[in-house]
Amino acid sequence: MGLKSIRDKIDAIDSKILKLLNARMEQAIIARKYKDQVMDSNREKEILERIESDTGELISPAFCQKLFKDIMSESRKLQEKNYDIIAFQGEHGAYSEMAAKAWNKELISIPCSSFADVFNGVENGRFEYGIVPVDNTLGGIVGEVNNNLMHTHLHIVGAIENPVEHCLLTLPGTNHRDIKKVYSHSQALSQCKNFLERNDLEPVPYYDTAGAAKMLSEERPEGVAVIASKFAAVLYNLEIIKSNIEDSRANKTRFVVLSKNKIEKGGEKCSIIFTTEHKAGTLFKVLEIFAKANINLTRIESMPKQLLNYAFFLDFLGSDKDEKIQKVLKEVEEHTTDLKFLGCYNERKVA
Amino acid sequence: MSKDLRLISKEKEKKTIIKIADLKIGEDFIVIAGPCAVENERQTIETAIAVKEAGANMLRGGAFKPRTSPYAFQGLGLKGLKILEKAKQETGLPIVTEVIDSRDVSWISEYADVLQIGARNMQNFSLLKEVGKTDKPVLLKRGMYSTLKEWLSCAEYILSEGNPNVILCERGIRTFETYTRNTLDLSMVPAVKECTHLPVLVDPSHGTGKKSLIGPMSLAAIAAGSDGLIVEVHNNPEVALSDKEQQFNPAEFKAYMEKVLKLSEIMKQL
Repeated sequence: MGLKSIRDKIDAIDSKILKLLNARMEQAIIARKYKDQVMDSNREKEILERIESDTGELISPAFCQKLFKDIMSESRKLQEKNYDIIAFQGEHGAYSEMAAKAWNKELISIPCSSFADVFNGVENGRFEYGIVPVDNTLGGIVGEVNNNLMHTHLHIVGAIENPVEHCLLTLPGTNHRDIKKVYSHSQALSQCKNFLERNDLEPVPYYDTAGAAKMLSEERPEGVAVIASKFAAVLYNLEIIKSNIEDSRANKTRFVVLSKNKIEKGGEKCSIIFTTEHKAGTLFKVLEIFAKANINLTRIESMPKQLLNYAFFLDFLGSDKDEKIQKVLKEVEEHTTDLKFLGCYNERKVA
Repeated sequence: MSKDLRLISKEKEKKTIIKIADLKIGEDFIVIAGPCAVENERQTIETAIAVKEAGANMLRGGAFKPRTSPYAFQGLGLKGLKILEKAKQETGLPIVTEVIDSRDVSWISEYADVLQIGARNMQNFSLLKEVGKTDKPVLLKRGMYSTLKEWLSCAEYILSEGNPNVILCERGIRTFETYTRNTLDLSMVPAVKECTHLPVLVDPSHGTGKKSLIGPMSLAAIAAGSDGLIVEVHNNPEVALSDKEQQFNPAEFKAYMEKVLKLSEIMKQL
């Protein structure tokens, strides 16, 4: 083994240390939400004691003490800033995180393993915001998210439409002829179906696009590529073999941002969910109210709430501060069995 | 022509016109120019901008190179394709690049607008079948020891796999002459037109191997009825990693193009 390959290993370890440090700082920022004040000397003492007993053969206790004192001092500095957090599903580098950054780059984005964790975390105050994908031009509606929207008490405070540009990523230096399998989220695999077929690549579903990138960079399996964002390529030090591999260039995902508090000043768009009685023409009656008031609908979707009982998702242009809209909503309430106002917000489109 | 050439023969169809972006090969006179090999991003993009300004319609550049010696520069591979893609984004010029291995056909198709089969691979039948399965136009060069019929049979292979878009390219053959790298056989231009409905280009760079002869032979090719030219241009030929003696620099190419475009205009009136 030459010096070069040893240094490659050191680089890989350094990159892991940095990612772990980042993850530790993230937990510190979340922990702040549960603490009355930043400084907690008992907890710090406890950590230092444990570190001392855990120290390995090579590294001295004194070095570890010094290192962890520095780490904890940095954590305190971050905690003092009292950052607002936006939670997203997936690993760092996920498309949801890119959308979160595009929506508000001041927020700290924290990964969650499931959509339910995003919803629950915002509901119990661990995160200020959550960002979730609602639908995609190629893949259709994201069922789990829409199902959560039906039952949540959270408000939609923003929306963003982000273009999805899939890249084929490999470990640096991989020969394209050796690529046999491609790991990614099933949505991403289906959005690049023609590309995979054309190049005779076997799709392998994985829980997350960025998660697949992370797995590739850590486990370094042979003959494997992943589909993820450009952002993930940088984050996990992977090479972009080909960008824009999606079958349709019109590939966009619409995300909504959730919060416990609604926006006081309102916005340009509203989202509601309702159910109607099981009678002829009930849905038509509701839609007719919007048509007569000349309100433009931007989304209409139905999902089963229970068997044979559908919830209708409706987005329309207008502000809930507007009297016309308030009147319409009152009228809609009379014609529905269950009406939920998800929020009034502004929507942005990223080119 | 024999039954073996049933798909490319003139009797089968009037004239094949191949559309690439807003170009119509077989109808418009086209010039494909660029470096022999993609060496780096700067060299390729600078050359691409220069040939575009001089009036070229497409960019050529080898990423996978078939070299006589295994120790010579073999090309940048996929990295070279990514550079060509960038050059296309910068200039809008469609990309022509060579395929030397059937395993690469699908990959190169992801980046290229035209797949080139080089003279050395003209009779690589598995490669011909593979490009015949794609929907990309194929530039089929004449092998250096091939007769017209052998060459046309190779075009027939591509068409028989379902790809109708073949562009033939005369690039010179081996003769006893040593002054030139190859002997450019311009009689093939009207001969191809007599026998087939396919467009035909001429490559005077490989056809002569000498910069001083490229201009006159290009004008002769236009006069012979060629549908276009494919010419090697390098932003700095002195440091080129391959084919130094036959690559124009941008200024030489500009002066060359003025004559070429003038004659091609006159040809339209004939």
